[in-house]
Amino acid sequence: MAAIAHGHDHGHDPDSPLHHQFEDIEQQNESYIVGMWTFLVTEVMFFGALFLMYTLYRWTYQEDFWRCHNMLDVTKGGINTMVLLFSSFAVVMAVQGAQLKKKLQVLGWLAVTQACALTFLVIKYFEYTHKFHDRLYPGVNFTDNVANVGGANLNVSQLFFGLYFGMTGLHGVHVLIGMLIFSILMVMWAKGKKIVVNDFVPTEMVGLYWHFVDLVWIFLFPLFYLMPKPH
Amino acid sequence: MASSSHASHTDHHHHVVPTFTYVKTFIALFILMVITIAAAKVNLPGVLFLSGTVVNQLIALGIATIKAALVIWVFMGVRWGTTLTKIWAAAGFVWFILIFLILADYTTRSYEQAQSFEPGVKESALPRAPIKSFQEENPNRNNVRIRQ
Repeated sequence: MAAIAHGHDHGHDPDSPLHHQFEDIEQQNESYIVGMWTFLVTEVMFFGALFLMYTLYRWTYQEDFWRCHNMLDVTKGGINTMVLLFSSFAVVMAVQGAQLKKKLQVLGWLAVTQACALTFLVIKYFEYTHKFHDRLYPGVNFTDNVANVGGANLNVSQLFFGLYFGMTGLHGVHVLIGMLIFSILMVMWAKGKKIVVNDFVPTEMVGLYWHFVDLVWIFLFPLFYLMPKPH
Repeated sequence: MASSSHASHTDHHHHVVPTFTYVKTFIALFILMVITIAAAKVNLPGVLFLSGTVVNQLIALGIATIKAALVIWVFMGVRWGTTLTKIWAAAGFVWFILIFLILADYTTRSYEQAQSFEPGVKESALPRAPIKSFQEENPNRNNVRIRQ
């Protein structure tokens, strides 16, 4: 038997996205998607540990966590949720454009996604600066005014705000990285690079990352902004 | 090349999802978000052994889970994916459940609140352990001749 399997030769069509190590395009697509999901599983681990920490300390300090959460702006959080949900829709429309090889659809919807991401970050900026102004960033300069934390214990408040800035901040970093990756993707589409034009899967993989970012926010929003009153 | 709106032969292997499916999903997600916020404003009564707070929290998390399921199933394409993809998508959340089992450590045994100090307040620092000499901390148990 030949040591090199030629398999189902596609005649070295330079525009075919099928790489030679794969049997067929379905196998290649599956490999790419499963690979991306592997990365997303590591991201679940990354955020999962923080969610566990949140669960433990919220359970231990229910009353104080509730008091601190009153300092958060639900309107801004709600708008952010709305914006991210719409950006997920925009990404999925961009991927559809990639599947249909419609460059303008891809670029248009990716631009919408970028606008949504930017809106999210701007709203976050206003939220954070308001918190910094009230000296709610944990550390030596944390406020000593109990009114600023809604009457909660100051040490527990540092715990709450540490979790708040840590988790929403990490999420914000992910949004920013997403924006950078989308920029690169948009440039590649604008230039008509074969790697993204001939195969829609790279675009879909970036889309999967963005949906994950949306998923994390879907859980962050109710946990931080919509805490029920303990009684 | 493929200048028409329908893709070339290599693309017939994948399923192009109709826009309307995505629109329906987005509307469902939006409605669920509105329900979440509305439900959070209402202090629900307790049910059986669960307090009202727990009921509120379970509803919020339940709705969040449904939203997440919609995003994963439709937007992330798992609905039309291969079985391997479905397994991989489930894997992350299996891990997530497993790590929450660490909470069993906290529920099954009591633990002392560790001593802590007030940051910024000098006198609140914990006292240092008394400093022992090297010979005190490391007694010569093996009869080694110490070179002088």
